[in-house]
Amino acid sequence: MSRIIADFKAFGREYLRSKGGLFFTFILPILLIVLFGAMFSSNTSTISVPVQNLDGGEASVSFIDALNKTGVIKVEIIPSDQDFEQYVKDHSLTMAMQIPSNFSANLAQKIADPSAPMATVTLFGDPTKSTYQMAQGAINGAVVAVNFNIAHAQPVMAMQSGTLPNTKDYNYMDFFLPGVIGMTVMSVSLYSMTSICSNYRTKGYFKMLSTTTIRKYEWMTTKFFVYSIMLTASLIVSYVIGVVAFGMTSSLTLLTFAFILAGVFLFIALGMLLGTVIKDEETGMAITNAIGFPMMFLAGSFFPVESFPSFLQGVAAFLPLTYLNNGLRDTMVYGNDMAALGNLAIVLAIGIVIALAASRLMSWKED
Amino acid sequence: MTAAISVEHLSKVYGDIRAVDDISFSVESGQVFSLLGHNGAGKTTTVEILEGLRNPSSGSAQIFGVDVTNGYHKLRKKVGILPQDFEPFQRLKPTETVEYWGELYDLKLSKKEIEDLLASVDLSHRLNVLAQNLSGGEKRKLGIAMAMVNKPELLFLDEPTTGLDPKARRDLWGLITNLKKKGTTIFLTTHYLDEAEVLSDHIVIMNKGRKIAEGSPREIISKHGGKPTVTLCGAGKKGLDELGRQGIEASLQDDDVLVRVADTGEIKDWVAKLAGAGVEVKDMYIKRDTLEDVFLYLINPENQKEVAQ
Repeated sequence: MSRIIADFKAFGREYLRSKGGLFFTFILPILLIVLFGAMFSSNTSTISVPVQNLDGGEASVSFIDALNKTGVIKVEIIPSDQDFEQYVKDHSLTMAMQIPSNFSANLAQKIADPSAPMATVTLFGDPTKSTYQMAQGAINGAVVAVNFNIAHAQPVMAMQSGTLPNTKDYNYMDFFLPGVIGMTVMSVSLYSMTSICSNYRTKGYFKMLSTTTIRKYEWMTTKFFVYSIMLTASLIVSYVIGVVAFGMTSSLTLLTFAFILAGVFLFIALGMLLGTVIKDEETGMAITNAIGFPMMFLAGSFFPVESFPSFLQGVAAFLPLTYLNNGLRDTMVYGNDMAALGNLAIVLAIGIVIALAASRLMSWKED
Repeated sequence: MTAAISVEHLSKVYGDIRAVDDISFSVESGQVFSLLGHNGAGKTTTVEILEGLRNPSSGSAQIFGVDVTNGYHKLRKKVGILPQDFEPFQRLKPTETVEYWGELYDLKLSKKEIEDLLASVDLSHRLNVLAQNLSGGEKRKLGIAMAMVNKPELLFLDEPTTGLDPKARRDLWGLITNLKKKGTTIFLTTHYLDEAEVLSDHIVIMNKGRKIAEGSPREIISKHGGKPTVTLCGAGKKGLDELGRQGIEASLQDDDVLVRVADTGEIKDWVAKLAGAGVEVKDMYIKRDTLEDVFLYLINPENQKEVAQ
């Protein structure tokens, strides 16, 4: 035990004096929370849609007015005497709408004669982009409203938004914070341990340690304790900022802390496993980035896995971070502790398998 | 004297490569022992087998009568190690490092003991500086302090002065001499032959995994070195001709005339004879082969057959 305490003190001191370690443990998650919070928590964002009105009639002006009143779209007028395509090119526009010159006439004709062609507007852009889809939805809504108005009809059906029973009114940050916590646990534990293992090997620390009385499991236990304490502190700081700055309502449960410990266990074991095959720090960074970076995104740290294409959802199912993120959301956001326990069991099981492999393969000596 | 280290027919094989090839030697307690050889000669592999870091392919290695392959754990508290290319923990101070290293040997050192140990390696003025800010020589001294934390009876120093400036090297020589005076057995590997010649009681020279010479520096030079030479500086062709007229065999090297002395006991007579030979010289000195000259001779492939005999 005294050797664990000694190694804990020394390694803890080194960690606290490492600017890189502190940045990735505390500053990076705070930066992500603040940046993403600022981007996604605002309800006042609108989409600018450049519109060229070649018609100029009362109907087209009223339609533009209706678009501005949706609260989603802010119309920016393209002068009618400009060449539409050239204007789009010159201003690097990704989306623009054109109201044709016969819009008012066609509208009047359609009202008088139902068999006449419909008045149309055209939205140009990339239909796969989310901003296009949002603008399309708002414009369609305005078109439907105009049709009802002209037909003197009243809507008979509407959709209401509501919260699920036993859940709170969550915002994006409630979803985002567990992902940031999961990502921080993964990146700090995995990247640090891989780097430490290759660094200790190249600098001969492992050889030196093997000549002392400290055992391998004591050294590993120390790393687990140091990272668990640091990342628990990081979790608390991130949570407080999320609540105070962005009005998060998710909960900090006991299971959340269990996930931190299980996540640290899993990813330091994975770092040690990689450290057994990596001989120098540079290769270590390359391999860890190749594993950690895609995992960060594909495991749903920032966006729901359900929004990914199906083949990527399949990939996510094989990533241990997916279960850490899901479990953290189960307990912090949805209050579903049974599902969280299931994810915790998966994280622990993967961690145990990797830790056993790492302790078997990791040698401080040379062959 | 008793043997601190005893190595018998030790070999280490990697595939087709025999990194260490059937070497035997022993190190007496209280000696400074040097293992010499160029890069790839098998020194570090031999040292790492003795340090319990590698297993031998065959043969045996014992430290204080304990087989290192199976029983190194019994030796941990008697042995100190400074590995090759040692770097201390960058963000720990020397006091913290020594305290930490002591605790890894189950020792609880007092503040005074830590400071005394660091003073013994001349780091009293750098007690609370982060290791990353120490100079190369200071880092190596800190490494020696770490290796000495358990008051070892045997200290392995693997190339302790590589990369250090001349003053830092000399400082470390002084440190090694002091440790020897205190009775510590020191096992040294080094590239610097002058260092080995000055510090060592006993030397083994390795080449391609094999032992090619063994003995004290004086014995090795005497056995494998050339005869002493009296050099007449600036004597030139004129001096060479004059000695030739007097029946003295000599050779010309640049502007110097070299006279090889067949019997070491006759050097004094030869110096007197040459001083009175009427040859104009700027300076005159005797040159003997150094350990470095002998080492270069021994590892020269052209001399291998002769060396083997």
